[in-house]
Amino acid sequence: MTTVDAGSATAPAVEARQVEKRYGPVPALRGVSFSLAAGEFLTLFGPNGAGKTTLLRILCGAVRPTRGSVHVEGEPVADGEGGWRRRIGLLSHQTFLYPGLSAAENLEFYAKLYDLPDRRALVERALEGVGLAERRGDLVRTFSRGMQQRLAVARTLLHDPAVVFLDEPYTGLDPHAAAMLNRTLARLRDERRTVVLVTHNLSQGLEMADRVAVQVRGRWISDEPRGSVDAAAFERVYTDRVAAAV
Amino acid sequence: MARFLAHAAAVAAKDLRLEMRSRERIVSMGVFAVLVAVVFSFALDPTIRARGIAGAMIWVTVLFAGTLGLGRSFALEAEQDALQGLLLSPVDRGALFLGKFAANLVIVLGVELVVFPVYALFFGLDFRGSPAALAGVVGLATVGFMLLGTLFAAMSAHTRLGDTLLPILLLPLLLPVVIFAASATQRLLVGRPPSEVMSAVKVLAAFDLLYLLVCTWAFGHVVEE
Repeated sequence: MTTVDAGSATAPAVEARQVEKRYGPVPALRGVSFSLAAGEFLTLFGPNGAGKTTLLRILCGAVRPTRGSVHVEGEPVADGEGGWRRRIGLLSHQTFLYPGLSAAENLEFYAKLYDLPDRRALVERALEGVGLAERRGDLVRTFSRGMQQRLAVARTLLHDPAVVFLDEPYTGLDPHAAAMLNRTLARLRDERRTVVLVTHNLSQGLEMADRVAVQVRGRWISDEPRGSVDAAAFERVYTDRVAAAV
Repeated sequence: MARFLAHAAAVAAKDLRLEMRSRERIVSMGVFAVLVAVVFSFALDPTIRARGIAGAMIWVTVLFAGTLGLGRSFALEAEQDALQGLLLSPVDRGALFLGKFAANLVIVLGVELVVFPVYALFFGLDFRGSPAALAGVVGLATVGFMLLGTLFAAMSAHTRLGDTLLPILLLPLLLPVVIFAASATQRLLVGRPPSEVMSAVKVLAAFDLLYLLVCTWAFGHVVEE
């Protein structure tokens, strides 16, 4: 089992300071601040339109915040090819894969972009890790949604990122693929990677988390350790909190 | 620099591999170019000496066929939001741009290999007079076209109007390249010596350099949200 280097002893793995985002006059995020220690697993819940995806896209540098800043392992997340890009991975509902390339070609392409050594062997191991080694030469276009998401998991983890962002990774998955994803998330937690998981699935989100936060209308209305959350009552508490905040 | 070029080569190889598999751009551009040549051959008054206007006809054909294919260049990236995957990677945005540009250039040069013989066949043109000078003019003009075209294809891909917007943005800015390319091509087709087109070649090279610097710099601003 790989255990990820916890990085700088002083800098948090992810730190957001007063992050705001407006699309024209519409506020998507209203001053979100939090800090995640290396190896922490945060699950973020929230209703549709809460700005969770916007927050995740800002955390991984895909969208610029209107105000505020984000740091990954002490390095500011900004434009360009900063070293922080090598330390993060994003698994979204979109796979970022090319349907016209084979599974192996997709991973080899991303391996080249990340300057990874021993690409052939690395890609082979990654495909074996998600149970797609026998389909390595098949075009992604011919894969089911679950298989594409498994390949997207391999793409996300190919460069061994210390910080992993997951945006609704269960969307469209059958129970078999969801179970595979659960095993991957458990492995990420065991390897002490820092994880931010955005999901609507309360039970799966709670199962993995060290910390649980709820975002409504661009604000965090709660952020608490998993240990203080009563899993049995969480659905009712969550619904009440969201209803009160909307 | 080696890393920059390796990333650009990886992006170009990926786009060309996808095109080799689907052939959707080269076939649609090639068929469109041949159809335009056929339309010109029927529409032109037989008393008009086609050699006198062939340079303009060829470049109008290349321009519209090329614009048709450019729109698809970023559609490849949109299908599974793969552009986001590229932008998350630790790759210089200039390398991404040059990779996309190089693939577009190879595809349009491939279409030109169809366009020129088709025009020679339909209009009795002879390209053997100054082949090196003609290749220089065509090469430089196509580089300029693809540099601007790749940037504007990225820009229009981010808008709701998409492919509709591309020619509206692109064609006015391409006018200088088209004017010099068409006039130099025309002179060579009517048998004028290569020395007569040297000034046009220098201007096209200058435009290419300007477009290369501006487009490589601007691409990051265009694709980043």
